[in-house]
Amino acid sequence: MIRFERIGKTFRGRDGAAVEALRDVSMDIAEGEFVAIVGASGCGKSTLLRLAAGLVPASSGGVSIDGSAVTSPRAETAMVFQAATLLPWADVLRNVTFPLRLMKRIAPDTEDKARALLATAGLAGFESRLPRELSGGMQQRVAICRALLQEPRLLLMDEPFGALDALTREEMSIELLRLWAARRMAVLFVTHSIPEAVLLADRVVVMSPRPGRIVDVVEVNLPRPRSFDQEGTDEFQRCARRIRDHIFGNRAARAA
Amino acid sequence: MPPARHERLARLKAALPAWIAVIGLFLAWEGAVRFFGIREFLLPAPSAIWTATVAVWPTVLAHTGSTLLTVLLGFTASVLVSLPLAMLIASSRAISAAIYPLLVVTQSIPKVALAPILIVALGANEVPRVIVTFLVAFFPLVVATVAGLLATPPELIELGRACRAGRVQELLRIRLPFAVPFVFGGLKVAAALSVVGAVVAEFVGADAGLGYLIQTSMAFFRTPLAFSAVVILAIMGIVLFQAVSMLERILFPWSSGAENSAPPSA
Ligand SMILES: Nc1ncnc2c1ncn2[C@@H]1O[C@H](COP(=O)(O)OP(=O)(O)OP(=O)(O)O)[C@@H](O)[C@H]1O
Ligand SMILES: [Mg+2]
Repeated sequence: MIRFERIGKTFRGRDGAAVEALRDVSMDIAEGEFVAIVGASGCGKSTLLRLAAGLVPASSGGVSIDGSAVTSPRAETAMVFQAATLLPWADVLRNVTFPLRLMKRIAPDTEDKARALLATAGLAGFESRLPRELSGGMQQRVAICRALLQEPRLLLMDEPFGALDALTREEMSIELLRLWAARRMAVLFVTHSIPEAVLLADRVVVMSPRPGRIVDVVEVNLPRPRSFDQEGTDEFQRCARRIRDHIFGNRAARAA
Repeated sequence: MPPARHERLARLKAALPAWIAVIGLFLAWEGAVRFFGIREFLLPAPSAIWTATVAVWPTVLAHTGSTLLTVLLGFTASVLVSLPLAMLIASSRAISAAIYPLLVVTQSIPKVALAPILIVALGANEVPRVIVTFLVAFFPLVVATVAGLLATPPELIELGRACRAGRVQELLRIRLPFAVPFVFGGLKVAAALSVVGAVVAEFVGADAGLGYLIQTSMAFFRTPLAFSAVVILAIMGIVLFQAVSMLERILFPWSSGAENSAPPSA
């Protein structure tokens, strides 16, 4: 459904120096597919998501959804940012409904849906709390609920579990898979965790830095529904090793 | 969750040192005047000020009312002008480049010099006094509001853009709410300054008001009454400041606590 075609992105720094964040990135994501992106810090993962969200224009090449070029943010796309970015003045419920209110897409049952979503994220009873009264992990869960409530066809997630502890992280991963299975939206999921990428995704895109480009795409042939029990399987280990080799192999080569 | 009563008690407790300091100051003042035998027209004792005030309290009350009216009108005018002006400045670099120098000019003109000119032009009525009050009070409010509007974190702006917010929506739904703690910082300064502005205007041309009372009293060496006016002005400043703080706590409970974590306003 979304196609990246020979994307190049160069930022001009404050001092005039050019930073090439992405070079010649091409990939296709099918309807309902779960794709994870892993790569070292600074290899352009967030930039790629911003391009998909229509928040920044590409320097060369282009992104298209269902054949039409992405030039500005679309209603069918929702994004979970690297930081929770909640409105400090709005309580949890109003934070979750904020995008829909902003886009005037509020329906009579929106609030009920929001409450149900918050409950699945373990936030029942926190609806009228302010963000500053929540822990970092809880804030991030609110941000995820906010994106899911928009019922997007394409969900962009930038290290959504980065701020969570390992336990909550596993729990949230499984929860995300459950929600994804129920809705069948396409997900583009950035993470630093190789096991997380393998557990969640149909395909793992491995990127390398300076300039950011795709070095490999790993198909994960594990049956669904997935669980952490599959971590011991050969297929899981094969995928994880192949990704690790790309990331750390690069580093070893550079160090030598 | 602590009950509201508990909170109020804590607030009273926090105000205790201030009360002790004020009462201590007045006691020391009274004691010093009596002990050194300072003459009344130089420095009246608090008790003398009190006696002088009570003796003519209807007059004092009328003057207080007159000043309060000027203060409130000037303060309201500064709020009504500052907020839209700040939004205009924050919304465009070109507008801000055009307006800011003018604003700074209005601040570098001494209001005491401006007041007689305004009175000649507009007549000796309420209007020039309100304008002078406004001119004294509005600048910090504009500066604080602009700072708040521009301090909105880029992530929140990006969230708005991802939700397809236009520039107006971004300003009203994201930047303005974020600026609320800053706005209230400016409002507190403006409240205190409007008292100053009103008195400055009354010094130059008025037939009523506490500024006028100070001038006429001093002309006849009725120092206690002049001091009385000064004390009332101080109280007026404190009450206005507290009223703004209370309004913030009631209308924007998230804001008063957020002040600690919000970046310092300019
Ligand atoms: N607005 C910008 N202006 C200038 N350079 C930028 C901008 N945004 C990103 N870059 C540069 O582009 C490169 C890729 O940044 P990006 O944020 O996409 O990395 P990332 O893969 O998400 O990193 P991380 O894993 O640390 O989040 C970096 O070198 C960064 O310095
Ligand atoms: Mg990133």
